[in-house]
Amino acid sequence: MLSGDQSVIELREVQKKYAPDIVPLENVNLTISKGEFVFLTGPSGAGKSTFLRMLYKAEEPTGGTIIIDGVDLSSLSKSQIPQLRRKVGVIFQDFKLLYHKSVFENVALSLEVLGFKKDQLANRVRQVVEGVGLSSKLHRKVVQLSGGEQQRVAIARAVVNRPPIILADEPTGNLDRKRTMEVVTLMEELNARGATIIFATHDETLFKNTHRRVLYIKDGKIEER
Amino acid sequence: MPLGIIFKRAFRDIRQNLVTHIMTTIVVALTCLVFIFFSIFSLNLQRIADRFGRELAIVVYLKKDIPQNKIPSLYQKITSMKEVEKVKFISSEEAFKRLENYFKDEKEVLEGVDPLFLPPSFEIQINRAVYNPSRVRAMAKELAQWPEVQKVQYGKEWVDRLESFSEAVRAAVIASAVLLLVTAAFVVSNTIKLTVYARQDEIEIMRLVGATNGFIQGPFLLASFIQGVTGSLVALIVGLFCYKYVYGIIGQTELIKSLDLQYLPPSYMAVIVLVSGFFCMIGTAMALRRFLKL
Ligand SMILES: Nc1ncnc2c1ncn2[C@@H]1O[C@H](COP(=O)(O)OP(=O)(O)O)[C@@H](O)[C@H]1O
Ligand SMILES: [Mg+2]
Repeated sequence: MLSGDQSVIELREVQKKYAPDIVPLENVNLTISKGEFVFLTGPSGAGKSTFLRMLYKAEEPTGGTIIIDGVDLSSLSKSQIPQLRRKVGVIFQDFKLLYHKSVFENVALSLEVLGFKKDQLANRVRQVVEGVGLSSKLHRKVVQLSGGEQQRVAIARAVVNRPPIILADEPTGNLDRKRTMEVVTLMEELNARGATIIFATHDETLFKNTHRRVLYIKDGKIEER
Repeated sequence: MPLGIIFKRAFRDIRQNLVTHIMTTIVVALTCLVFIFFSIFSLNLQRIADRFGRELAIVVYLKKDIPQNKIPSLYQKITSMKEVEKVKFISSEEAFKRLENYFKDEKEVLEGVDPLFLPPSFEIQINRAVYNPSRVRAMAKELAQWPEVQKVQYGKEWVDRLESFSEAVRAAVIASAVLLLVTAAFVVSNTIKLTVYARQDEIEIMRLVGATNGFIQGPFLLASFIQGVTGSLVALIVGLFCYKYVYGIIGQTELIKSLDLQYLPPSYMAVIVLVSGFFCMIGTAMALRRFLKL
């Protein structure tokens, strides 16, 4: 288990119990190294979202220890949580966008909280929005976009501040095949630039022929595939 | 802390909720106005009391049989008291002369009267820097106990009345200040809470992308500070116009003119503005603490 400073995410005996009969995670031990690209899969309701939520401390485990980048999450005070969240870019399954704000404003939020200067912020946002193919809709309100476009706004916001860890919760759930492959390629590019990525999906075609690590959650257990 | 963004957000919150914010500002202004009204009253009363105290003299009548050679040492003793500004000795002869002056053309009434029948006295002027009614009273009491002194006279009733009156007014000023602070803080923090409700989704998302508490709270605190400041500024301007208007009506008589009334001094106004802004901010910070579960 001594993976040294290479391990960026580590779970020890982690348990998450919502109710006596709802136990998405049971004594999970797991190490993810820096720069890994990991698929997380399992049937709907297995606990993929729950697993990810615990990694950015939106949810507390009912037992065990979670260590991110050398920091035990249970030791973090409320005022230290922002530091963790800046390291972890999350693409939420339900997007969590501000629907009455523009694409630009939504994506800019991640940089505003870091105190970016106006020009640098605008450049960065344009660049990332172009990367997800939404340049022409930069100043549209999110509510006017299709589901697939909204998904890409969510992706842009998660990566614009270049976090070392990216958690993607079904980031292709609303996309057609072509867009899905674009998102996978985008994630691979981010991974190539050094980001550690956990890509949760129930779409088996995405990892059927992959050489990458695949984690399968079922009945509270996580197995390697 | 990215101040630019905090300002931008604060002004956006105010703009998007302009009517509520204006209503709140009016409430803050009205509370401030109550305080300003009492303050003007109290400050001017203080000024009048000061002037009155400055002109107030204590007259110490000495026993008639007091030997002349004792006068200088008494004079020294009184002059050395720190409340004393100036002491003037009035001999029996001088007192008689004053009396003659007073009767002028009817000097005859004093014919045959012993020119020394009046007691010699000291007229003491109080130093107005240390003027304080209770001190004057204490001093008069002390002087009356000296063996050489026959009687002490001073505007006792005036001093007492003025004292209790200015105490009452000062209490009103303090009470209105407390009212101002509590009301303003309460009203403003509630308005801000409405804004927070409206921004709950945004706050939730800001948290998820790593916003600090300061970043989340900053705009709300700034908006409340702005409300406290504008409310008190409006009150000071309205107060000034009211003061000018009332003075225009009553200020024509010589009596009022001689009182030399004034509006609040600039430093006092600055304190009102800052304290108002500050307390609205504190009230909001306390409300946010509970509301955002910080
Ligand atoms: N806040 C919650 N309270 C109670 N049960 C929950 C809560 N969140 C998720 N669950 C339950 O935990 C299980 C795992 O959910 P989730 O992590 O969303 O699964 P997945 O993302 O794999 O579809 C489900 O049975 C779900 O109903
Ligand atoms: Mg899920």
